[in-house]
Amino acid sequence: MSAGDLGAAALRAALFLSLWGTGASIYAAWRRDARALASARIAAGVGFGLVVIAALSMMFALATHDFSILYVAENNARETPTFYSIISLWAALEGSILLWTAILAGATAFIAFRGTRAIPRLATTALAVMFSMLTFFLLLITTPAADPFARLALAPDNGNGPNALLQNHPLMALHPPLLYLGYVLTSVPFAYAIASLILGEGGDRWLVATRRFALISWALLGVGIVAGAWWSYAVLGWGGYWAWDPVENAAIMPWLTSTAYLHSVMVEEKRSLLRTWNLALVVATFALTILGTFLTRSGVVNSVHSFSLSAIGPLLLGYLVAILVLSVGLLLWRSARLRDAGPIGAPLSREAIFLFQNVLFMAATLTVLLGTLYPLVAEAISGAQLSIGGPYFDRVEIPLALALLFLMGVGPQLPWHGASRATLERQFTAPIVAAALGALAALVTGTTALAAVLTYALGAFVIATVVQEFARGVRARRTLHGEGGLTAFANLLRRSGRRYGGYVVHLGIVLVALAVATSQARTIDAEQTLAPGETLVVAGYTVRLDAIRPVSEPQRDSIVADLVITGNGANEHLRPALVQYPNSAAAVGSPGIGAGLRDDLYTILAAYDQRTFSWATIRMRVIPGVSWLWLGGAVVGIGALIAALPVPKRRTVRMPVAEVAVSAK
Amino acid sequence: MLGRVVRVAVVVAILGLVVTLALAFRRDPHDIKTGTVNKPAPAFTLQRLDGSGEVSLADLSGKVVVVNFFASWCLPCTQENPALVRVYERYRGSDVVLLGVNLQETRENGLAYVKRMGMNWPTLADDDGRVALSYGVYGPPETFFIGPDGIIAGRHIGPISEETLVTGIEKLRGQAVSR
Amino acid sequence: MNRRIAIAVALLALAAALLLAARPHEVTADERIDQITTEIRCPVCQGLSVKDSTSETARQMRDLVTQRVREGKSDAEIEAEFRAAYGDWIFLSPPVTSWSGLVWLVPIAALAAGLVLVTGRLRSTDTPPVAAPSPTEVAALRERVAREEAAEG
Repeated sequence: MSAGDLGAAALRAALFLSLWGTGASIYAAWRRDARALASARIAAGVGFGLVVIAALSMMFALATHDFSILYVAENNARETPTFYSIISLWAALEGSILLWTAILAGATAFIAFRGTRAIPRLATTALAVMFSMLTFFLLLITTPAADPFARLALAPDNGNGPNALLQNHPLMALHPPLLYLGYVLTSVPFAYAIASLILGEGGDRWLVATRRFALISWALLGVGIVAGAWWSYAVLGWGGYWAWDPVENAAIMPWLTSTAYLHSVMVEEKRSLLRTWNLALVVATFALTILGTFLTRSGVVNSVHSFSLSAIGPLLLGYLVAILVLSVGLLLWRSARLRDAGPIGAPLSREAIFLFQNVLFMAATLTVLLGTLYPLVAEAISGAQLSIGGPYFDRVEIPLALALLFLMGVGPQLPWHGASRATLERQFTAPIVAAALGALAALVTGTTALAAVLTYALGAFVIATVVQEFARGVRARRTLHGEGGLTAFANLLRRSGRRYGGYVVHLGIVLVALAVATSQARTIDAEQTLAPGETLVVAGYTVRLDAIRPVSEPQRDSIVADLVITGNGANEHLRPALVQYPNSAAAVGSPGIGAGLRDDLYTILAAYDQRTFSWATIRMRVIPGVSWLWLGGAVVGIGALIAALPVPKRRTVRMPVAEVAVSAK
Repeated sequence: MLGRVVRVAVVVAILGLVVTLALAFRRDPHDIKTGTVNKPAPAFTLQRLDGSGEVSLADLSGKVVVVNFFASWCLPCTQENPALVRVYERYRGSDVVLLGVNLQETRENGLAYVKRMGMNWPTLADDDGRVALSYGVYGPPETFFIGPDGIIAGRHIGPISEETLVTGIEKLRGQAVSR
Repeated sequence: MNRRIAIAVALLALAAALLLAARPHEVTADERIDQITTEIRCPVCQGLSVKDSTSETARQMRDLVTQRVREGKSDAEIEAEFRAAYGDWIFLSPPVTSWSGLVWLVPIAALAAGLVLVTGRLRSTDTPPVAAPSPTEVAALRERVAREEAAEG
């Protein structure tokens, strides 16, 4: 039995188990039948194992260049290095759906074993929802729609090899899996939300049960998006990290609604309000992940990720419609039970800030959705063709982002229910002073664009509020527990991880905002045609072209430009190249990047003398602050990790009455 | 009451989204239509690749002109070339003029390609790409049909077949006769 | 009082910095070229602007824009030249007029609608200030703590 046969058989067995699991969990929830639940658990566990076996089989087939499998023939070649062979599992449609299914099966198994022990009936209903979704995806990959193990009647000698852009950089190992983990894990809160609606529960149990899943999926999605931006920057070679490409938009939309959700659940947890809204947010987030997959895979939009049109488009659209109809129907049916008791709070309260923040995130999401789909609509209706790209999105999203940055500083400082004038003065003096200092720092460093100055000011504002919060927390712990400064700080993160981890996340976001503002405001471009030995000077850096030479590797031929960059304390040897893969019509530009904390030196080989290598057109981009983007992403990830960690058990603290009397004065 | 408005809005929005996405299947994202069609063809005067003189569009008024933008680095151009050769032979000596415009390469490379592919019709060099830009060319191969009245009657993006060429030409010749 | 002074001074400094950043200044030719080429779409790329793209077509378009700017043509004239050849598709930001104006209108309308909905759900009055506990309340609290302590043992 070959790897392909094993994988195909494993998937079909998993499909059968998933169907069984759907039925068993529905019956178990309906009749509260423990045996049915037990059999559903087994189906989930074994099913997960089988899908993993299928994925590993595909990786094996890729690594051993088994060209009798169509997917391997299309996405692998004998010359492809083993590392890239293995990660080609997610290089194209069928393999990507297989990865998606594997993660979904894992989440289903997790709910089957952990979730159902905690809240039996709710979790079992959620399990039924998960199984039905898993069945759909298994159907996709066991039918001609997207069967990764489809065979070729005649196996070719050598395969096509992966798409040129997908074997140029090791980041390919990170970006899709992270993104898919983020996408797929949003199905867990969704399943619980649907279960809660089906069972007619009016409470918040579904929300509390899936809190950690929501946070983890948000973090993975966010980090996956940053990894994608890094890939775009390091691989695509145009010198930017975000182009508002339809597929980039598809990823950021669920992230935006997920961020809104993480905050508005705090209102529900604290004050039992906004139930319908939170349910709607969870549904929207999940629906957007499916929409994102649809846009990426169906071929209806022209994009960097575009694959050829395939039958999977209408299937995914049908799935999306089914989900929307089911969810919205349930929400409308049950909305009477979920009505809020009264007004939310005062205008200057934390609840209000969260609400405003939600409105801004929704406007941001709607803008991205509209901008991405509008060209399709316009053309379908009037035949007119228009483009909606960076300039449009920037104009609308940047003001929204600045407003959100402001709220990010204000929100945590305001108490629940409302704040008095005195509170406001006390809380915001230092941050406002910091904002002024931030604006001055911007001007001093030569960042004079209005949006950039505002970003610096608001960034400083937020940093000051976070520092204030940490200082207050450390002070409180020192008074209450007599801990030293450092211990108190560590304990803040351990015991109040949700809150202080959240503050760390905010700091990461500020870093990202500063990176974007600085790089957009102060990037300097220069392009020149040089002969070996000649130099190009830009922004205080001197770029010398040493040589242009061909480089041959088994899987590709490149033309490399050797550059030496000096000036401003730098000494970099960069090698931008034009890489030709045998299966690609045009050469792929590979940038030479000298990363630095202050500036990135980004070099591109734009053109060269093809006969005698006597000249090369070099483009040099000095991009300040872009490294903070990756740092910021890492900080966001760390903060989310801190927030997601379970809190160590509390010890009871005994306090003598006398101490209470003293502190009450 | 507000609740009802919100509900209706949500349902309408979702319906709109679904209809949009369904409609999207009808279009091919690679088919780009807008441009210079039905407008007067921008005038140009370009040098021949072999250096033997100039060709001006103005001198060809009253004739049916087919302008084909090509380049040696363009794979589909080599695929469509046999069709162009056959059409050229068919209409040679008539009031139909076939012009080739070479894009984004040195004249040497262009000339070598022309010789290799047996392109016997006038082939011109658009060194700075201005003519291509004025016609709204996305990238080679692209073919424009200019009527005797100097208006761009049609444009074809991508490799063109003999059938399309002949149909386009005959339609314009019919126009000329009926005038 | 000191706080209020600090806040006032800081806000003034901030306003000054923002005004400085926003002040209209003479746009250089290079800046004009940058602004225009950022808005024009490269026809042979995936949604990149002519400024960002390294393709030959983009370079030729940049050269055309540079030449027109040096010739003294206005932004509108240069855009009209590109629009005549390629239609609205060549611009990365849709025009504010006609159908495509909707993409500008909808985000603003959504934002406004959202803000209206939210402020409708908020209480308009301020929260009443909470007074400090009176001595009798403190004594009652102390007694209660002592009782509960004793009960825990």
